[in-house]
Amino acid sequence: MSEQFEPNVVAFLCNWCTYAGADLAGTSRMHYEPNVNIIRVMCSGRVNPLFVVNALQQGADSVLVSGCHPGDCHYMEGNYYARRRFTLMKELLDYVGVDPQRFHMSWVSASEGNKWKDVVGEVVKETKEVGSFEQFQRDKINW
Amino acid sequence: MADLEKLITVAKETVSRDDVKHLIGWRQGTYGFRVSPHFITEPEEADKLIFSPLCNSNLVNYLTWVEKLPVPRGQEADTRKVALMVKGCDSRAVVQLLIEQGIKREDVIVIGCPCEGVIDLAKAEEMFPNVLEQVEARWDGEKIVFKLPDGEKAVPREDVLADKCLRCRYPNPVLSDVLLGDEVKTEGNDDYADVDGMEEKTTKERWAFWEEQFSSCIRCYSCRNVCPMCYCEDCILDRLNPTWINRSNNISENTAFHLARAFHLAGRCIECGECERVCPVNIPIMTLNRKLTKEVREKFDYDPGTDPDSKPLQASYLPNDQENFIL
Repeated sequence: MSEQFEPNVVAFLCNWCTYAGADLAGTSRMHYEPNVNIIRVMCSGRVNPLFVVNALQQGADSVLVSGCHPGDCHYMEGNYYARRRFTLMKELLDYVGVDPQRFHMSWVSASEGNKWKDVVGEVVKETKEVGSFEQFQRDKINW
Repeated sequence: MADLEKLITVAKETVSRDDVKHLIGWRQGTYGFRVSPHFITEPEEADKLIFSPLCNSNLVNYLTWVEKLPVPRGQEADTRKVALMVKGCDSRAVVQLLIEQGIKREDVIVIGCPCEGVIDLAKAEEMFPNVLEQVEARWDGEKIVFKLPDGEKAVPREDVLADKCLRCRYPNPVLSDVLLGDEVKTEGNDDYADVDGMEEKTTKERWAFWEEQFSSCIRCYSCRNVCPMCYCEDCILDRLNPTWINRSNNISENTAFHLARAFHLAGRCIECGECERVCPVNIPIMTLNRKLTKEVREKFDYDPGTDPDSKPLQASYLPNDQENFIL
């Protein structure tokens, strides 16, 4: 392959912590991988696990869901519900044969620009290891 | 074992009550090993009721699949109770509906039938092919006795029972107003061997397996329709805006459908095995559901449909839920 594979990472970020954290990383002029496409949601508890499946169907190579640290949720408990949901969703995706490197979850607070940089680096690195997602992506399946 | 005479007496008494709309039970089907649901409104009809190893369907989804028509002005809504016969596994569906407040406790009369296991239709029909006359069956210790046209045949229960019954942990109803007969001994012990077997494979092998299974799906939605826990009036599969899952039948949409269906039952599936029983293309749906049941049991120590006072798994949380996968 002459061109290096550049993954497409879809990230669902909570408005109050991780989105602000990513913003901080930007305003602090930190360099992080440009492969991440951010979708801002009001809370990690807003992220329906089917968003992950739909993102993979529509061309994402991996998905990241990120919110406030437990106990810091702007809505008091949204991230606790998200944690339960995605614990199960991650197991389910792995069970049907989707590489576990394709789904990540993280807690990044508004002041953790550095952590955001590291998380993105880690996610992009792992996605590059497993390559492009073709199992059930709409445009790549064999009809 | 359930007492048939007691069943008929109880049924007659129940349907004679003024506050009971109807009783739902089983009756002999039209041919072979089939049984039909039996809706009784008059005491005379109770004589047709049966409870035998053939009663493999779960009647609980009739509780939520009632068409709720708008009440005309000047009339009062029908608030009469519904009486329902349940096996051990079906009773967990009733309890889970109570947990989710899908039904009210005072609206149902639960007639519990201690159950020693029901047959797997495919296994029985393979053993006795082309039986067109009605077959009767009864439990007899370690054997199941079938009354076939050419005489009685006793079959060891392991050969003919459904897989879910061989590992059943709840043969006695978890919740019941009337219990027919004595409680039976719990012999099954669920070690999730099928799930473990799948987990041992590599990711590639697992996808190869599920890809083949999901490709054969014809999206008839029988698994959804028969599931006692799938009772949303507005199901995401029927919605057009937003279209969560396209209607085209291909591996992408089929996988999304199966993931969505399995996930919507996470922490709610009571393992009655109806989805797998009705699947026309024999997709091992329970192997998918049971993975989540296993995780729910291991990670959250939760058994759906056992405690009517518990909260739904995904509508509750503990501050110290494990999170070792989170970066």
